Amino acid sequence: MSKGTVFNIEEFAVHDGPGIRKLVFFKGCPLRCSWCHNPEGLSFCKELMISHAACIKCNRCKEICTNEVCIACGKCVEVCPLRLRKIAGREYEAQELAEILLKGKEVLTDSGGGITISGGEPLSQPEFLFNLIDFIKPVNIAIETSGYAEPEIFQKMVSVTDLVMMDIKHTDNLIHKQFTGVSNELILANLGFLCQSDTPFIIRIPLIPGVNDTITNIEQTAVLIKDAGKLEGVELLTYHKTAPAKYQMLGKEFKPGFDTEKKVNIWSAVFDKHNIKVSLL
Amino acid sequence: MKKRIRILLDNVIQKKHHQFRQNIEKEALEDFTRSLKEQDLPDVQRAKLRLSWVMAHEIPVILTDERIVFTKTVTKIPEIFTSKEWDRIKSNHYIHEMGRVCNISSNFSYTIEVGLEKRRLEVIKAIETQTARGNRKGIEFLEAVLQSIEDVLRLSERYALKARDNGREDLYLLLQNIPKKGAKTFHEALQFFRILHFTLWASGNYHNTVGRFDQYMYEYLKNDLDNGTLDYEDALELLEEFFISFNKDSDLYPGMQQGDNGQSMVLGGIDRKGDDSFNILSEMCLKASLELKIIDPKINLRVNKNTPVEQYDLGTELTKEGLGFPQYSNDDIVIPGLLSKGYNIEDARDYVVAACWEFIIPGYGMDIPNITALSFVKVINRAVNNHLIRSKDFDTFMENVRKEISVELTHLTILLYNIYFEPAPFQSLLMNDCIDNAQDISQGNRYNNYGIHGTGISTAVDSLAAIKKFVFDERSVSAKDLIQAVSDNFEGHYDLWVKLKYHTPRMGNDDDAADNIAIRLLDFFSELSSRLVNERGGCYRPGTGSAMYYLWHVKDIGASADGRKQGEPLSANFSPGLNIKLNGPVSIIRSFSKPDMKKIMNGGPLTLELHNTVFNNPGSIRKVSSLVKAYMDLGGQQLQINAVNREKLIQAKKHPEQYKNLIVRVWGWSGYFVELDELYQDHIIQRTELEL
Repeated sequence: MSKGTVFNIEEFAVHDGPGIRKLVFFKGCPLRCSWCHNPEGLSFCKELMISHAACIKCNRCKEICTNEVCIACGKCVEVCPLRLRKIAGREYEAQELAEILLKGKEVLTDSGGGITISGGEPLSQPEFLFNLIDFIKPVNIAIETSGYAEPEIFQKMVSVTDLVMMDIKHTDNLIHKQFTGVSNELILANLGFLCQSDTPFIIRIPLIPGVNDTITNIEQTAVLIKDAGKLEGVELLTYHKTAPAKYQMLGKEFKPGFDTEKKVNIWSAVFDKHNIKVSLL
Repeated sequence: MKKRIRILLDNVIQKKHHQFRQNIEKEALEDFTRSLKEQDLPDVQRAKLRLSWVMAHEIPVILTDERIVFTKTVTKIPEIFTSKEWDRIKSNHYIHEMGRVCNISSNFSYTIEVGLEKRRLEVIKAIETQTARGNRKGIEFLEAVLQSIEDVLRLSERYALKARDNGREDLYLLLQNIPKKGAKTFHEALQFFRILHFTLWASGNYHNTVGRFDQYMYEYLKNDLDNGTLDYEDALELLEEFFISFNKDSDLYPGMQQGDNGQSMVLGGIDRKGDDSFNILSEMCLKASLELKIIDPKINLRVNKNTPVEQYDLGTELTKEGLGFPQYSNDDIVIPGLLSKGYNIEDARDYVVAACWEFIIPGYGMDIPNITALSFVKVINRAVNNHLIRSKDFDTFMENVRKEISVELTHLTILLYNIYFEPAPFQSLLMNDCIDNAQDISQGNRYNNYGIHGTGISTAVDSLAAIKKFVFDERSVSAKDLIQAVSDNFEGHYDLWVKLKYHTPRMGNDDDAADNIAIRLLDFFSELSSRLVNERGGCYRPGTGSAMYYLWHVKDIGASADGRKQGEPLSANFSPGLNIKLNGPVSIIRSFSKPDMKKIMNGGPLTLELHNTVFNNPGSIRKVSSLVKAYMDLGGQQLQINAVNREKLIQAKKHPEQYKNLIVRVWGWSGYFVELDELYQDHIIQRTELEL
């Protein structure tokens, strides 16, 4: 029996796989994408998040705190009269989490839906992930992944999942490293496996202005996947200028390293050319 | 939408037809009322004369390119009693709302089918029958009905002449056929309906519902399509013009708020024989409403276990527009509920909704489904104050809750004594059996049941869940401390308040700790109300609607044991408490389908609020439809979904505590709006601005 850390559960995720789906976010990610909009999904540890906008400065949080450095103990969450604080991250046993996700499963399955596991990076907590999947089956499972994982783990995931939703951030290794902190070699190798597999998959591209919205990158991405038999389509996610707020809530600074004001190029025609279904989310 | 319809719609939106409205002096109205008093006329004759007065004062108006006519120019309807006379009536009668027949469903179809000349003959024959019996009151009533027919025919003839004067030979010929003869075509049937509906308003009756329009109008449409009189597009054009007509005079109709006018239309469901009845006209109505995007008629969809998800999709397309309808009602729950209260099977299958959500029977129902309302929070608070300290366990306390509900129901219903309505001869013509029985509809009909709304159900359930958990199970809060804290509105009881507010099991979270209490509480409501009989021999129908009572009741209750502070709102209808964060829609529909809604059968929808960005692509339409279908499959009774719009977002930003479950799409992910920081919120508000 293994434990894992999760930072959110949503019940009616409409853009994360077919039908009515519950969506669980695993906490912790090996990538550091400079545009990341879920910064509380990066660290594997619990973290305190504070919404500053409505704070009335009553100081109850300060009065109760006995630690020099925040240990995300949650005491201040309880005393905030407006509930502006929360602890991102909670540990679950796989079975316990499965029970929460399976509650009302007929609503999910009757609609052709199921459960989507996202993150963070779900493959970074592999033992917990596979344990959880054992408990959830046979409910339809979709996994959203960066593809950054040991091939053995990735391949096992592909074999036990009904739908894979995988990101491709950049085909150029140097740029990939610059903006995500990691090499794309592992990712592309796993993508190769996915393209040959029997598991249906969707490719997602977060379109970041000046980073990966070039015709060359998009064309190369399309070429990588165009012959895959189980590719259901490509989803393009355009960048919205909302990411910084969550960084503030975590006491972190948002340093995107690209021009957030720049207009993004959407080369959807490239996918049309290769007969790949494409949609803009 | 055709160009002609666009122009008609724009004209109505711009209120161009208001220029024809007459400015009738208040004195003229009062003179009329005074003359009735001076003649010392009985009420039936007064009602008769009022309709004649209004119809005679109407001036025919034919707007450019209109093909369905009748526009109100008389903006105020005179009273039939002086205020002194009313005071005297009120002193020994219960008066429901304005004291006029309202909120029922007419049988339009029979009159449209046979025409008013045939109806006139029927009334004359009935007068002969009653004369033979020496039934003077009956004769007086029937003569009033007869006069109302004359009034309609006379105004129609004036419209016909006006049409000829305006060079509208088409309209002139149409009005030579109907309303004298029965309608032969879809166009004639629509115009006939408009005349009857117009006359109901002119009689002073209100919340005049539309009923099962797709059933009683279907044959006309089908014939026209079959014999080539109309093609689909022509028919849709006529239907759209007809829909627009509901919005011409609606600002003049009585109601609690603008828009509260009861023009509910019901589509689909099973027919009187039990067969599915969704047809091409049902679909056309949804299409017309989607194209027009106006608030009337208000669309209701009847569904059941056999309803294909594609039908829900058509409904969801409307929801997406943010109009607040369709409202869905579940045949599989509503019909057994009606049967349990003595409705016969064919009538039960024929149910429609009243102005808001109450289930009523067209033609036969003189139910008053909104006559009073039980404030659950008030009852719970009284039980807490009177019994909590002495209750040895939770079950004992619940017994006391039951007693308090019983006391409150007695208190509420004892007031409903010697009810009086103004007679409604024209409305009676459109109800079954009134002519044969020579009895005005205001005196009752086949069904004379009263409905009791229930407000603050989720707040009451949550309060009880808190009491069970903290006072009895954990024993972490004493009864005395709880009572004190609630009575102090939690001032000086911060820690206890946090406990109640954030650690109470909540209805809407699919948590049996709360939901089992909801089941018990609603069972009490159903069992105790089933013991009561009203003075007309009807039963009481418990329901989960709130109407405006959720605002009124909040004024007489203080804080509550769920951590709700004094003055904080109750949710409307059958919905989770406000100001609390819930798991999400799947949990909500599961929670709210656990009570046996066949017993709580008066109606009152669960309301879900989803942000309109949830509806962005064709795939998510199906997902929302699936959610509605799932609720019905679980045994839910009635549901309505709001696609929340920008104005609401601005409100949500100002009052985040009231919008905790508002879902928005941000960037490739969905989140709760109020949990977002200001930057996100502003961004989303700006984005909706761009989308408009």
